[in-house]
Amino acid sequence: MGQFVTEINANGVIAVDDTIQVKGYETRAGSRILEGFKPLFSAETVERLEGAGYAVAGKSAVGEFGLDLLGEFAHGGPCLDASGALRGAAAELVAAGQVRGALNVDLNGAPRRAAALSGVDFLKPTYGTVSRYGVIPCACSGEQVGVTAKTAGAVRELLRVIAGHDPKDGTSLPAETYDYGNGKDVPGMRVGLVRELTDAASDDMKARVTAYAERMRGLGVTVEEVSLPLAEAARTAWNLLLCAETCNNVSRYDGVKFGYRSPDYRNIDELYVNSRTEGLNFLTKAVILYGSDALSKGRYVTCYDKALRVRRLVWEQVKGLFKDFDALLCPACSRTEYRPYAIADAFKTVFEESLFTAIPNLTGVPAMASGGVQCFADTLRESSLLNLAEAMEGSGAK
Amino acid sequence: MMTPEALSALEQLNEMRLTADEAAEMLSIFRDMEAHEAALREIDTDNVEIMVHVMPLTNILRDDVQEQPFTRESLLEGAPEHTDDSWQVPRLVK
Repeated sequence: MGQFVTEINANGVIAVDDTIQVKGYETRAGSRILEGFKPLFSAETVERLEGAGYAVAGKSAVGEFGLDLLGEFAHGGPCLDASGALRGAAAELVAAGQVRGALNVDLNGAPRRAAALSGVDFLKPTYGTVSRYGVIPCACSGEQVGVTAKTAGAVRELLRVIAGHDPKDGTSLPAETYDYGNGKDVPGMRVGLVRELTDAASDDMKARVTAYAERMRGLGVTVEEVSLPLAEAARTAWNLLLCAETCNNVSRYDGVKFGYRSPDYRNIDELYVNSRTEGLNFLTKAVILYGSDALSKGRYVTCYDKALRVRRLVWEQVKGLFKDFDALLCPACSRTEYRPYAIADAFKTVFEESLFTAIPNLTGVPAMASGGVQCFADTLRESSLLNLAEAMEGSGAK
Repeated sequence: MMTPEALSALEQLNEMRLTADEAAEMLSIFRDMEAHEAALREIDTDNVEIMVHVMPLTNILRDDVQEQPFTRESLLEGAPEHTDDSWQVPRLVK
């Protein structure tokens, strides 16, 4: 069940994922390569929460750099429920009431997936509205800090604290505050049920989404099926960009300046190679190697450049739907339960599952897991997601 | 198509080594991804601009004011090995 990898304050109420820095406390991003690394500064989001009176209870476990499904390949081992099913550590801490909320990095959907499986809420806000300063970086063009909490109201409360311009983050938008809704205005909203993503899910997940849509209709929401033909292309494009950007960002871990250093070396080359070979798991290595190849001279145009152009097409397709709909409804993951599996299968497994989560990372739009399903909204329209989730929670959808 | 030789070169470039089993799995990953990349290439992007960032932000610069956020000592504290004023690595020249 949910446990802290590092306990910080017995009276704390916030869990902070181990990919987010808390000054003076070991931050490993779930990896051996950052063994012993104690940041010299806290993430801006942590500073803002502490400044508003929220104490950090501890660091919650993540998979190495947040690259896996649910933290199953965290250096300290996976988080499992009583039946042996995989769970996200932060989501379980929130579900059990051990913390009021958690800060998580949504890199490839892990916190959304975790919230959907644990029956709590997670909101990935619009790219640039919440500072990424102090996040252990992987895919800077699409990863985003978000909030896990038990209710939409609690998510809103914490988002209001952490959002707003941060001059220390070069991708931070200029606004100081954002509209996170009022829990009202739901009757008359229009929601699109994304056919390609719902059809790709298991029968039990499809049934969950269908039931959720039906309860939305009961609140006066119009739900209609819509098509996103570029959904699979969005997955490929996001994974190409994620791998390429991660390859660059993770190149800083070399066993010299901080973190793990192999004891087995005779020269500087062996120091680098052995430290990285022993310090990184196979999933991270696969991401680095695939990303490095995508950036190579012979493949740059057909892979990396192509993915950047497809990103614009996906963005235009999603924006087109938001002319007619307030939100898009779909599964957050393919199944209602996941079991531990071999790390040799991790790259392919994560790639397959990211079909359900890649679009918001690729396009920067906000996405929220609530009631075991997921909704996307237009840029800066978190209010639609929170209002819908809150109304559904009020109707007994949790 | 990714070959064992090209994969070995990639490993070297990225300062890491795969075991034989990992290398076989990595070649399988490259083979799998080829089909997805081919589907991406089928999409007409001839007149589509690249989109590096989804938000229209460019050249955000802070004020040109000299700062000293961290001391040399504090930066050295996290290093696996260091001298009084430098990170320590094996001898590079004989």
